[in-house]
Amino acid sequence: MQYGFAIDQRTCIGCHACTVACKTEHEVPLGQFRTWVKYVDSGTFPDTTRSFGVMRCNHCTDAPCVKICPTTALFKREDGIVDFDNERCIGCKSCMQACPYDAIYIDADTNTAAKCNMCAHRVDEGLEPACVVVCPTHSIWVGDLHDKDSGIAKLVSTNETAVRSPEQNTGPNVFYLGADRAVLDPLAAPVQGTYIWAEPDAQRLLTAGDLPGDPVTGARTTLNTAHPRPWGWKVVTYLWTKGLGAGAIAVAALAILLGINLGGLGETAAPILAIFGAATTGALLIWDLKRPERFWFLFLKSNFSSWLVWGAYVLAAFTGGALLWLIAAHGDVGWLETFLAWAAIPVAAMMAGYTAFLFGQAEGRDLWQSPVLFWHLQAQAVMAGAGALGVIALFAGTEGRPLTFLAGAFTLGTAAYLVISLVELFGAHPSRAASVASHVITKGRYARLFWAGSMLPAAIALVLGAIAWGTGGAVALAIGGLLVQPALLAYESAFVRAGQDVPLS
Amino acid sequence: MTELSKADMPIAEQKGNSVPLPGARAHEHLRNFPPPETWDSHVEYDAKAHPRKVPHTYSLIPTVCFNCESSCGLLAYVDHEDLSIKKFEGNPAHPGSRGRNCAKGPATINQVKDPDRILHPLRRVGERGSGKFERVSWEEALSDIASRIRKAIIENRRDEVMYHVGRPGEDGFVERVLQAWGVDGHNSHTNVCSSGGRTGYTHWMGFDRPSPDYANAKTIVLLSSHLETGHYFNPHAQRIMEAKQNGAKVVVLDLRLSNTASHADLWISPWPGSEGVIFLAVASYLLRTRKIDAEYMRRWVNWQTYLERLHPDVPRDDFEAFLDRLTQDYAQYTFEYAADIAKIPVAQIEQFAEYVADAGTRLATHTWRSAAAGNLGGWQITRSLFFLNVLTGSVGTVGGTHPNGWDKFIAHFPEMPPPNDIWSEKLWPLEYPLATNEMSILLPHLLKDGRGRLEVYFSRVYNPIWVNPDGFNWIETLTDEHLVGLHVALTPTWSESATFADYVLPMGHASERHDTMSFETHTSKWIAFRQPVTRVAMEQHGVPYRDSRDANPGEVWEENEFWFELSWQIDPDGSLGIRQWFESKERPGQRMTQDEYYDILFSRSVPGLPEAAAEQGLTPLRYMRKYGVFEVARDQYRLDERVLSDAELEGALPDERGVLRKHVTLDSQPPLVGEAGVVGVQHPDGSKTAGWLTPSRKLELFSSTLAEWGWEDQATPGYIESHVAATNIDRDADEFVLMPNFRLPTLIHTRSGNAKYLNEISNTHPLWMNAADAADMGIATGDLVRVNTEIGHFVARAWATEAIRPGVVGLSHHMGRWTQEGHPGSRWVMGKVRLSSDDGVWKLRYTDRIRPFTSDDPDSERIYWDDPGVHQNLAFPVQPDPVSGMHCWHQKVRLEKAHPDDEYGDVVVDAKRAREVYRRWLEMTRPGPGPGGRRRPEFLMRHVTPKRAAYQISETGGAVAERGEQ
Repeated sequence: MQYGFAIDQRTCIGCHACTVACKTEHEVPLGQFRTWVKYVDSGTFPDTTRSFGVMRCNHCTDAPCVKICPTTALFKREDGIVDFDNERCIGCKSCMQACPYDAIYIDADTNTAAKCNMCAHRVDEGLEPACVVVCPTHSIWVGDLHDKDSGIAKLVSTNETAVRSPEQNTGPNVFYLGADRAVLDPLAAPVQGTYIWAEPDAQRLLTAGDLPGDPVTGARTTLNTAHPRPWGWKVVTYLWTKGLGAGAIAVAALAILLGINLGGLGETAAPILAIFGAATTGALLIWDLKRPERFWFLFLKSNFSSWLVWGAYVLAAFTGGALLWLIAAHGDVGWLETFLAWAAIPVAAMMAGYTAFLFGQAEGRDLWQSPVLFWHLQAQAVMAGAGALGVIALFAGTEGRPLTFLAGAFTLGTAAYLVISLVELFGAHPSRAASVASHVITKGRYARLFWAGSMLPAAIALVLGAIAWGTGGAVALAIGGLLVQPALLAYESAFVRAGQDVPLS
Repeated sequence: MTELSKADMPIAEQKGNSVPLPGARAHEHLRNFPPPETWDSHVEYDAKAHPRKVPHTYSLIPTVCFNCESSCGLLAYVDHEDLSIKKFEGNPAHPGSRGRNCAKGPATINQVKDPDRILHPLRRVGERGSGKFERVSWEEALSDIASRIRKAIIENRRDEVMYHVGRPGEDGFVERVLQAWGVDGHNSHTNVCSSGGRTGYTHWMGFDRPSPDYANAKTIVLLSSHLETGHYFNPHAQRIMEAKQNGAKVVVLDLRLSNTASHADLWISPWPGSEGVIFLAVASYLLRTRKIDAEYMRRWVNWQTYLERLHPDVPRDDFEAFLDRLTQDYAQYTFEYAADIAKIPVAQIEQFAEYVADAGTRLATHTWRSAAAGNLGGWQITRSLFFLNVLTGSVGTVGGTHPNGWDKFIAHFPEMPPPNDIWSEKLWPLEYPLATNEMSILLPHLLKDGRGRLEVYFSRVYNPIWVNPDGFNWIETLTDEHLVGLHVALTPTWSESATFADYVLPMGHASERHDTMSFETHTSKWIAFRQPVTRVAMEQHGVPYRDSRDANPGEVWEENEFWFELSWQIDPDGSLGIRQWFESKERPGQRMTQDEYYDILFSRSVPGLPEAAAEQGLTPLRYMRKYGVFEVARDQYRLDERVLSDAELEGALPDERGVLRKHVTLDSQPPLVGEAGVVGVQHPDGSKTAGWLTPSRKLELFSSTLAEWGWEDQATPGYIESHVAATNIDRDADEFVLMPNFRLPTLIHTRSGNAKYLNEISNTHPLWMNAADAADMGIATGDLVRVNTEIGHFVARAWATEAIRPGVVGLSHHMGRWTQEGHPGSRWVMGKVRLSSDDGVWKLRYTDRIRPFTSDDPDSERIYWDDPGVHQNLAFPVQPDPVSGMHCWHQKVRLEKAHPDDEYGDVVVDAKRAREVYRRWLEMTRPGPGPGGRRRPEFLMRHVTPKRAAYQISETGGAVAERGEQ
């Protein structure tokens, strides 16, 4: 059984009755919508047209929000409805990144994720969803798509239909009849200054210039709703702290395995950097939750298909390992040090790299779905971790082989970082959305941040690292190590924002 | 609809003794409404607690939406726990809305729970207009108001009491009250609304409204935006889209790309005011190709009069000669001629003509406001449009256009007070004898002219300062205590005008009052019942109450009870003969309750209801309380051919035109529409049928009324050059036509400002300007533009768009809301302004925009819009059409970039100049009295019609005298 909607745009009059009936049924706070009507104007006078599109959750067969939700607050019912339980939600917003349809928001009253649940409380009682009941032209159909005799199944099977963003392979179960492509395609119709009777939000206006639009029809969105970026500086920052901590311990572990004695750098600085990185990451992660007091649901109500959950476990393991490292190093427990050195490599790799899998689950953010992201994160970790140890090395008076080892790791990490950055942004993109986002980073709004804030200092750091590697110059390494930290932050800032700047509706 | 939607399985036509539920449907396992058997105790699970199952038990109590005029059904969900209203859904029993609603229906809950609503009776403190109020008791307010009205009645100043209504939201109740008081005081909003539509229809058929049978039409012609607003948006949209699914062609004439136009098979955006020429060109085409229904015309058009008056050389009985002459008379209206005036491609008119010709008798046309309300001579646009129906015989047919009276049912209380015998010149000035409705827009000017004063002025769901043109003259008048003795604002929510009242009395929203309503939404006569749903629930649960004040929030009352109480207090001892009409039958000497009133009304004045109720084992009142609606009749076509019964014909004799008349005297009261004593028409073949409500009882191609009242040159459908015709607009001088009155699907006048879920969808109104025009003037989207009218200017923000024709700019209705610093207001929607005047020059400037505020509703702190809009109507002079009285909304304006000191929303107006413009338009009139010294033709629709004697300019004038068997 699979409940779904069919929305007949041939008869939809764009009246917003569905929007308001939904809001009164669920008492949705101002500024938030479980369903809304998008308007697009196209063409030039007198051949101007206007199209409507009713936007909402697609109750996907393969719902990415369900997969990513760390606490199974979002779940798919037997009848195909993608439902949610706000009593389980921790407000991590990852579902908002996973949804390619802008369907989810954080309810301002409960600070938990919410969206269209097809009025499951009504469906359970044999009643149609509120939007279906109210629609003046009966343009919204609901029913079991798997029952071939149902009204909706007949409607869908005997008419040409379209779905939103089919390339995301989510199996959307909202089928549009007679919809204008420019309405369904979020990239096709940028806003031009104003909406017809509302003001576009800052994010829409900011990103309008990023979109290619349609040079023939000049399609422009004339009504839509606001979808601010769910993730901001906290996520940007923890990407850095996480990489830094993971990189520091990984470099220290590698040194042990190669028989290089980093002294205090390995025994104290690396585990402390790791603990600092992990603690900061954990703190930022929890701080970023809209229901931080429920953070422990991550462990208590774990959804093991979610990389956020695996990330939490990795973070915990990593933190524990780093503490043990400190104890082992200072208690001179040799076998434990060796064990931890072996273990640290994969754990640190996961610490740095689980985000690639999490971002991979963010089906709404094509930029983040890069196949090289995991390796990029490794390079970033080595660059930031080795760089940080390099700075400390200057004050610790490290020299000789330990220093050149550090400089070598730093140089290779930084080089890899630069190469992968450029491959990521200039290589072939799997989707138009990813291209748009890359373009915004390399040539658009974030170009300065990216080039001057990240690529240039990283390139200088690379040269300094190479010098240090060749000459054993501690100062060069320290400067390089210092330079890459803000450079990485700048990159993450551009990467995280640009990924979320591509509109989904 | 398509075959598929038959899977829709309507549960409508149920057998047995269940009531019809035209809006009920089921798709497989899901139905759209709980069955009525469960309405007294329906369990629904908490949406917010879901998936936890938290049950709530509700009473589902029907009522009627009070936002637009459509009167769609609502079902209020009243929680058994605390009798609070949870939400509103549609009422599946309602034949018009069929269980569905527009956005404004469910948003009623916002209005009910608005933290800014008025909860207690208020009396002004200090100067009128100072914005300071104090709480008073209902008793104090009633006593003051009643004593003033009583005095005016006793002193025979019976034209000094005025009830000025915006949205009536009811049929006949207040009219009976006014009739009981014996005052001529019913004023309406119609001249800012639909007089241009009404006049055009009236002179064809007597009825002043169309009722298109959209659902069965083959071609639909809309001059308005019925897929998004207007009479009757939701019911009409349902049926228009059904017809379209069945292959009907939709033609929309609109200057802008409305949502309706976006669904048109043919969107025509003509130069404003040229619409009528387009229709005449199509008429000319139909005539010359003889794609007409000649037999229909022969029987139902007053073509003999046409020949007599315009072609006396032709024998008056030669129908073929008539057709030839008619064809010749309209031959000048070629496609090319029309295309030139309308500035549109000829091909569009050709296409239009083909659609019309293809429709046969299934042509549904409709205009109500739009062009008819925008242009000087707009009523001729209406007349030209309906000409197409007359020519094609698509009048009253399946899929054709009907008169509203066939599809509307007004239940009158069986006992009516006698008609009054006075005539208020403040409502019906002699200059406008043919105005379909009261000359409400001129009230300030008429009072300033010294044509009288008002002792008590009720503004009721009406915001005259805001909605009318020339609002500063309204402010000057309403603040002059010599002109207006007492201003009582009956309103649920703050408006610009309410702050200029002496009493602000809170009245209930859609779920807080009793009313009956009926509208011609389709081929059905239904009557719907609005109810104070909490009071009804209290009754169900045995909770005692005194009246609706015990059920409504605060001390909010319902108007019906207020009017009864006020009437009682005007005549406490019954000596004026008023009290008797409000006295209980069961308990003589005591006040009649609403239950008693509606028990009598539904038992005695609604045919078929007592029987239907009995089948359910209910009294008529109980039936209406449970289902909220009753369908009196449906699918009635061609009622002009209805054969008159012997009872109807008793005492009726045909006059020389075959009009069947009964004896009437000067004391007879004309009906709402039509002449007193006239029952129908006798045809040449001897048949006697109901016919139309015109003087000839035929469709009047040649209107003798227009001819006799000074407009012989406009007696047939024709073209009047609009005040904003292309020839009057100097495009090189940056002159444009401003279209200021289009509405949005989510808002309703200024009344929806308290609905947060509507505001968040629609919260700004840019000045629509064709992109090429904008580029020519160097104006970009977002730029401030100064719009100069004849009496001042306002400052708006431009939107360069392809959605409006060049030469025309548009600024939507609804916005431009304000309250003065320190005055009460609706904070969801109003900005703060500073108002100043210097020797008649008024200035309005915003000092603060809309901001979040703290209240019991956390959403008020989440307000994210800030634009109160531009109150453009202030800058318009009155432009009353000399025939219809319609305020001609289109404005000739000159655009310029904003001046350095201009700020968004500024309005500057010279109110003295506005007086001059009023006088100039007054000079365009051809004043009465008409034939026989009459003030107004008797057949024209009029609310609270007085005795026939009152129509006469003096007691001694003879012509109106007795009529009939003489």
